Amino acid sequence: MKPPGKLADTNRARLPEGGLIDRSRPINFTFDGKAMTGFAGDTLASALVANAVRLVGRSFKYHRPRGILTAGADEPNALVTLRTGARAEPNTPATTIPLFEGLAAQSQNRWPSLGFDIMAANQLFAPLFVAGFYYKTFMWPAKFWERLYEPAIRRAAGLGALSGLPDPDSYDRDHAFCDLLIIGGGASGIAAALAAARLGLRVIIATDDTMLGGALLSSTRDIADQPAPYWAAAAQRELAAFPNVTMLLRTSIFGIYDGQTYGGVERVSDHLPVPAAGMPRQRLWKIVAKRAIMATGAIERPMMFGNNDRPGVMMASAVSTYLNRYAAKPGARAVITTACDSGWACAADLVNRGIDVCAIVDTRPAAQNCAQQSPQFAPIRNSVRVFHHAAITTVRGRQVTGVTVRDESGQFHVLDCDLVAMSGGWNPAIGLASHLGGKPVWSAAIESFVMGCAPPGLVAAGAANGEFTTRAALASGHNAALAVGADLGFDSVLPAPPMASEELSGVGAAWSNPWSSGKTFVDFQHDVTADDIGLAVREGYRSIEHLKRYTTLGMATDQGRISQLHGHAMLADHTGRSIAEAGTIRARPPYHPVAIGVMAGHHRGEHFRPARLTPTHGWAQDRGAAFVDAGQWKRAQWFALPQDKGWQDTVIREVTATRTGVGICDISTLGKIDVQGPDAGQLLDRLYINTMSSLPINKARYGVMLREDGFVMDDGTVTRFADDHFFVTATTANAARVMQHIDFARQVLWPELDVQATSVTENWATFAVAGPHSRALLMLAFPHIDLSNAAMPYMGAGQYAWGTRPLRLYRLSFSGELAFEVSVPATHGLALWLHLMEAGNTYGVVPYGTEALGVMRIEKGHSAGNELNGQTTAADLGLGRMMSTRKDFIGRVMAARPGLVDPARPALVGLIPCHAAETIRAGAHLLPLNAAPVAANDQGYVTSAAYSPTLGHSIALALLAHGPNRHGEVVVVHDPVRGRDITATVTSPVFLDPAGERLRG
Amino acid sequence: MDDAVTLETQSGFGLATVMARKCATDADLAALPGIPFAAPGRCTGDTGLTTISIGPRAWLAFAASGESQFAADLANALAGKASVSDQSSGYVIFKISGAKARKLLQRGVPIDLHPAAFPQGSAATTVIAHIGVVLWQDDADDAFNLAVFRSYAASFEHWFRTVAASL
Repeated sequence: MKPPGKLADTNRARLPEGGLIDRSRPINFTFDGKAMTGFAGDTLASALVANAVRLVGRSFKYHRPRGILTAGADEPNALVTLRTGARAEPNTPATTIPLFEGLAAQSQNRWPSLGFDIMAANQLFAPLFVAGFYYKTFMWPAKFWERLYEPAIRRAAGLGALSGLPDPDSYDRDHAFCDLLIIGGGASGIAAALAAARLGLRVIIATDDTMLGGALLSSTRDIADQPAPYWAAAAQRELAAFPNVTMLLRTSIFGIYDGQTYGGVERVSDHLPVPAAGMPRQRLWKIVAKRAIMATGAIERPMMFGNNDRPGVMMASAVSTYLNRYAAKPGARAVITTACDSGWACAADLVNRGIDVCAIVDTRPAAQNCAQQSPQFAPIRNSVRVFHHAAITTVRGRQVTGVTVRDESGQFHVLDCDLVAMSGGWNPAIGLASHLGGKPVWSAAIESFVMGCAPPGLVAAGAANGEFTTRAALASGHNAALAVGADLGFDSVLPAPPMASEELSGVGAAWSNPWSSGKTFVDFQHDVTADDIGLAVREGYRSIEHLKRYTTLGMATDQGRISQLHGHAMLADHTGRSIAEAGTIRARPPYHPVAIGVMAGHHRGEHFRPARLTPTHGWAQDRGAAFVDAGQWKRAQWFALPQDKGWQDTVIREVTATRTGVGICDISTLGKIDVQGPDAGQLLDRLYINTMSSLPINKARYGVMLREDGFVMDDGTVTRFADDHFFVTATTANAARVMQHIDFARQVLWPELDVQATSVTENWATFAVAGPHSRALLMLAFPHIDLSNAAMPYMGAGQYAWGTRPLRLYRLSFSGELAFEVSVPATHGLALWLHLMEAGNTYGVVPYGTEALGVMRIEKGHSAGNELNGQTTAADLGLGRMMSTRKDFIGRVMAARPGLVDPARPALVGLIPCHAAETIRAGAHLLPLNAAPVAANDQGYVTSAAYSPTLGHSIALALLAHGPNRHGEVVVVHDPVRGRDITATVTSPVFLDPAGERLRG
Repeated sequence: MDDAVTLETQSGFGLATVMARKCATDADLAALPGIPFAAPGRCTGDTGLTTISIGPRAWLAFAASGESQFAADLANALAGKASVSDQSSGYVIFKISGAKARKLLQRGVPIDLHPAAFPQGSAATTVIAHIGVVLWQDDADDAFNLAVFRSYAASFEHWFRTVAASL
């Protein structure tokens, strides 16, 4: 970075006085590495203007040089990459960036430099880039598209690039509720806010800008006998003092959603080099508003003439803003081209600031020109050459050096200038109003579209409602707020709104220019020209929406807000319709580009979703456990010891130690539901395929639930603790779904049943204690409890105490070993775990993770998530005989559909590789021997596979057509993705202890 | 962390889900001595027993002490009238207090916490950062109680610390 020169050098286009900038606070910044200086209160764009920078970017398709066109958020041209490194933010309108110390901005879409851009040669190939050029030019051959055309186009066309680095900043969200949301901080917004605040409404006023005022900040007129910016500042101070007013500065309302919900983005730290400690860069606001006033103002339209995109061509209102608000001179000698009085207002501002106005080129005949008659503009008429009923044909120079004007008589005049200020009338900024589908309607009175069917609770006020003068806008906002107040029951008498001095309205339009010579842009950001519209029409396009997609008119980041209406008007003209008949597009959210990061908020990386931690999480972490995500839960996958050579070693060790001694596993993640009430048993009978109401107290029973469609939803156990108290478990994955299912059944299906249900998953820490020494361990841990087979048989349960704490024991086994599940309130879970580990020392107890748990359940042939996959029936899983024939239950009828009882359905089997050294992998498909590996021969697939430490070879569970009748048969395990085919023998899915002697021991 | 907000974690409390049985009328419940059942969207009671509405004829019952015994005693007192499930370990209860407590919470909850909309004695079952919370405000000092499922406590505290730093 070069050191900045003297202030005078770098601000050579700065007016000596005026503006809302603080000249005592210079701010250093760089643009494309060049050091410059601006002042507090500048935007990047105004500082560039003050530094006489005119070339700011290159256009999307033709790489034409572009300057600054506007002074607001709808800027199509002056897009820069803000900041560097990880904080680089591409496609940021320079007009929206408050200047900050050290700001670094880079121009975009140019190589090697902004001044000399090789891709500008694209202009020479302009005939290739006409409307629909993607479709026409690169149609054939198809394979060239992916390899050649698309990469080439992507290099040539486009805007800024992302840094590719992780965003170092954070994003926050907030929620707000109000009686009245005011969108926009201009004249009508302020008037509405003052009135609503005085009525006592809860008010939120949101503005993109750093302060309230909107167009008033650029205005030279008086309100209530003081300069408009002063009045706005006083109003801001007054509003800030109201406790019922929330002022959201630097906040864009980007969308309207159902339920009178509004989305906003507050740029909390975008005006700072780096956010302050703890502060987010941006904050997403969800605002629920009973009523809203859309006081979004209006957007000035450009004029159509050749090379109307050249640096030095600027909107008239933007010229006035740079002069009046920022004291920055966009040029030294100006030509105004206009279709309305707004061009004249700009001319007056230029003259007042001592800038030479060479001519006003007005499309209106003198007789129809209000400005021509108005005494307000008498001094202009006397000092400036006026062309009536005339047009600029073309701009001269790569940057403006002059214009050619065609006068009323057909004579051409060449005028030297370095600035063209244009005003083609105004469009109310009504994009938000279309977000719920409302179609804009044409207003002949203002020659533009206004809001049609409004979103619920929303009204437009001020310029957004076509009331363009300051005086009308103030009254409009004030009256809109009064109406909202009356509607919501806030009635009181308020003083009349403040008066602004008289002005002309700014209505007028010139949709096309038959004398235009050279490229005439109707979409500056997407490089769509008047010729493209004509071509699209010649090719048969009549619908606005089709025109939009074919030409990409209005599809850039600015959504074509500046000029796409010209395109629509041209379409109407070419097709012999009125603009009202041809219509305009309906805008969709977001109104301005919104970063994905602000939508994500805090939910990034490891915090993408909340994590659920088990009672032993910290202990497992200390032991170096590996964790696996089971939904939101973090579960210990295995507990590696230093001597283990790899995870497989660890799992083999954990399984072997459990099967030969004792192991403990935290299974607190299982869903647990208390089902209580006199009809609890009856409800459970309707939920499970088997009968639960007959369950004795202190007994547990395995159960299966079906969905309505007859497929298995989940399995688990039901334990009865009292006549009217059952305790249901569900798999970790389906816990929430089963809870919903039970609530739906009791609240919607059978509200007459007196039964209550609530999740107690989180209340109980539960540990599986499994292995031949499990009983001995528990007897040592709880010497006061009788755990003999007689007192606590297989599938028995009981409630006890452990000191002052309740303790529950269940004799359940997932591993196939003698096993118990032990529960205490989760607060005491870690204490219980430590107690069990200590008691288990004598027996060489190991903690085991979900991987060993999985291996043991596969060895035992238990179905789990891989088999309960939503596509299996109870019969598929070998559980068909559990289905009671003496009662009704959810899914019973649909489970009897022919397709679901087809004996050819793939059903659960075990697989053992014919060669013990070979490995079966889950996901592999099963084929008959010697069958071709085609889909027609597919007979099923492997659902779960593991190396069985107990058997010493690979085993698997699979779903195989006619499986239960094919035990002993050899099939091909076809795994084309990961390995060669192997053969395997079909077996019973129960590889271990089929008689169940271990678990009953 | 901003001094204007503090987060305390409560311990040793008793907590239970209470769901009225169909056979018990509202009048039956109202007649039970010493157990005030909060109206929908409300909480009521004192440190001995507070009930927090969490749904139609459903409450969380809270006592500052008692752990699991509280639910056992409550189940006896409500036998035949309501189903009671111990939740003394099911939730972590946070108390968020301080001048900016309401502002901080509003960043998280999608319901209106304005004092006029959520005055003292209000309760809501809502969500913060994708984590379900039962929220109630039962004292005059703008302190809020939040019951969060135990397993989410660490994630909830992360949200709290992040937002508190940005107040």
